Amino acid sequence: MTALASPRISLPTDPNHRTAAGVRWERRLQLAREVLRNPLTVFGLVIIGFFLLMAAAAPLLTEQNQPDAYQAPRDWSNIDVPPGTDGHVLGTDSTGGDVLYGIIWGSRLSLQLSFTVVFTTLVIGTIVGSIAAMRGGRVDNVLMRIVDIFLAIPELIFALAIAAVLGPSFENIILALASVFWVKYARIVRGEIIRVKQSEYVAAARVVGDSTWNIYRKDVLPNSLTPLMVQATLDMGNVVLIGATLSYLGLAQAGLTEWGAMVSAGQSGLLAGEWWVSTFAGLAIVLWALAFNLVGDGLRDVLDPKMEGR
Amino acid sequence: MNQHQPTIIRDRTPVSDAVLTLHDVKVHYPVKEGLLQSVTGHVRAVDGVDLTIGRGQTLGLVGESGCGKTTLGRVIAGLVEPTGGDLWVNLTAEQQRDVDRLRAVEPASMTAADRAAWQSLQTGHRLGSMSRENQRAYRRNCQVVFQDSFASLNPRQLVRDIVGRPLRVHQGLSGDRLNAKVGELLDMVGLGSQHMYRYPHQFSGGQRQRISIARALALNPEFVVLDEPTSALDVSVQAQILNLLVDLQGELGLTYLFITHDLGVVQHLSTTIAVMYLGQIAEYGPTDLVFNDPLHPYTRILRDSNPSLDGENDATEWELTGSVPNPISPPHGCRLHPRCPVARAECGWSVDDVLTDIEDRAPLLFETISRVERQDDFTADVTFDTEVSARAFADRLQASRAHDAVDRPLEIADATVSVSFREVPDATLQQLREGRLTSCTRTQNLGALPPIHETRR
Ligand SMILES: Nc1ncnc2c1ncn2[C@@H]1O[C@H](COP(=O)(O)OP(=O)(O)OP(=O)(O)O)[C@@H](O)[C@H]1O
Ligand code: SF4
Ligand SMILES: [Mg+2]
Repeated sequence: MTALASPRISLPTDPNHRTAAGVRWERRLQLAREVLRNPLTVFGLVIIGFFLLMAAAAPLLTEQNQPDAYQAPRDWSNIDVPPGTDGHVLGTDSTGGDVLYGIIWGSRLSLQLSFTVVFTTLVIGTIVGSIAAMRGGRVDNVLMRIVDIFLAIPELIFALAIAAVLGPSFENIILALASVFWVKYARIVRGEIIRVKQSEYVAAARVVGDSTWNIYRKDVLPNSLTPLMVQATLDMGNVVLIGATLSYLGLAQAGLTEWGAMVSAGQSGLLAGEWWVSTFAGLAIVLWALAFNLVGDGLRDVLDPKMEGR
Repeated sequence: MNQHQPTIIRDRTPVSDAVLTLHDVKVHYPVKEGLLQSVTGHVRAVDGVDLTIGRGQTLGLVGESGCGKTTLGRVIAGLVEPTGGDLWVNLTAEQQRDVDRLRAVEPASMTAADRAAWQSLQTGHRLGSMSRENQRAYRRNCQVVFQDSFASLNPRQLVRDIVGRPLRVHQGLSGDRLNAKVGELLDMVGLGSQHMYRYPHQFSGGQRQRISIARALALNPEFVVLDEPTSALDVSVQAQILNLLVDLQGELGLTYLFITHDLGVVQHLSTTIAVMYLGQIAEYGPTDLVFNDPLHPYTRILRDSNPSLDGENDATEWELTGSVPNPISPPHGCRLHPRCPVARAECGWSVDDVLTDIEDRAPLLFETISRVERQDDFTADVTFDTEVSARAFADRLQASRAHDAVDRPLEIADATVSVSFREVPDATLQQLREGRLTSCTRTQNLGALPPIHETRR
């Protein structure tokens, strides 16, 4: 062989050199590759990446308003100016607030809203659903009746009622949404766990003599999470949609750079032909929800048939 | 007439040393209906099973789909709590005799010595009353290989974690020592330790079943329940897995409970066979004897309907009629009688039998029944829409085998037919010859299977 022979990639061929962690990562990578094969999913991911960048770079993209960054700076000399006006790429609203500034800093609020709500409800829902399904009997009955009561009332109405009682503020919107969304997860987790509990690998683990906690940890929970992850991704979008609806209805602080609040603020100008405020804010909401729905659907397509082992 | 009394003593010559002895084991699943989920009956999946599994044996458990094989296997593996009966662990022949004798004695009328013996048997050998430690030891000692190797391996665990799990739980192994032991086990089942870091879905069905076997053998058990371990596999692979099981048994001195509906496999693999029908054992005995000279009509029909078997094949006219009865309300007397080609008066006829018969075979007549008033399962007044229907029903009944079992002539008044059958106790498994048990009451009375040429009219 000459020195010019094409370079050979050498991989460790003795599989015993591989580690468990390495193999698990390989599998995750392979799944990621499959997810990325769907162009719609990639499109969704790009939008999400765009929003994430926007949120991260907000202080660099705009000059941060003092003292409250989540109130757009007021330019009283440029009220209701259309997009393209000098210094106001996307125009201003009726109080001289810059629309671009609102969209950029609003992405931080959306991120905060969806992550907080989805994460806390995911945890609460998983705990409640797990207790119900693992305990069964009376505990299950009581918990599921509570869940039924929550589910009987439409999400939006319920969140609206809670937010209204708590008073108008962005934090209360988060609280209101969190107290509504956990129910869905509890229900999904419970159903999945009951299904997995009947599986033969759980029977096999019992024959081996492992503890209930270990069986829950190693067999039941990992095999119950797929639909939960898909739902959580979809909800990252839905939460912002409903949160925006609540602040549109006036349940956030006045003047907040929250997209829903901006749609609401821009509404009065629509008849006068001042379309830009509501439109750009609305577009941001729609894009956000769409992106997470695309990714959620893509995840479902890849995860569902594969991971269930059949 | 059938004079045999219902008795709890089921005579059997003890197998010398048994890993497990079952007495009257029952699993009844409640059937819930309606909004309030009230219990309307029970599926008698396992309904009074007596069975002895001798050490070092392969006991083949065969029977049609739904007869309760898996449920029984799950009871033995501790996955299903029996709703009745006893499981005895590690009884010697003498202890089996003692248990057989003592369980028929009222506790009040036991002698002091008997009471002491009974007490020590209970605390030393009966699952449920023996010490927790012994119970755990039994559980460790009894492992399972399931039918569906896909469903029985956690899809998110690596082979190392699946096979190594029993070692982690019971021996606290981890790291390199765990890997080394798992490697040995994988080698032992012919898979090779290089497969340790792979997921179950990366293997073929046969390989996955090898993984299941490795897991089952990790703790060096003496006793393995094999629930149709090869029925999901291709024929060529089946043979490989069966050979592996046979080899492992020889090497490790294992006892197998081999559940299957494949008689050919059982014939080659098992030393003893138990034939199950509708939640009960119909026949039990050494495999070759049972195949050559069955002592239950059901066994013979199963054998003759399976042309691939070696040995005698009478090719009788015997056939089962109708379909498997509902396990919620199984037939009285002998469970096979509504389908048995050689059923006679003593086989346990009841009102349900005649009603099911016309429902199946004369549905139009069945439609004309307006009311059934039962005194009990054996006596009832059946009222029809018209007297003509009542007569037709009576004629049918008189022409049938069941009519031999009435204890007084049918009474027909207007459109009502009163029928009354002799009450017959439920058939029990009895020893007919050394090591040969059958639940066919006719065979028990005749001392041999009813004559071959005899068929239902
Ligand atoms: N958990 C359960 N609840 C209610 N009924 C059950 C349950 N498990 C099994 N059964 C019923 O008990 C009976 C026996 O079932 P089992 O699975 O033991 O039969 P099997 O002999 O193993 O059949 P197969 O050859 O199809 O595997 C069937 O009628 C079945 O429907
Ligand atoms: S007792 Fe024997 S002959 Fe009678 S129905 Fe049962 S199997 Fe047939
Ligand atoms: Mg089965």
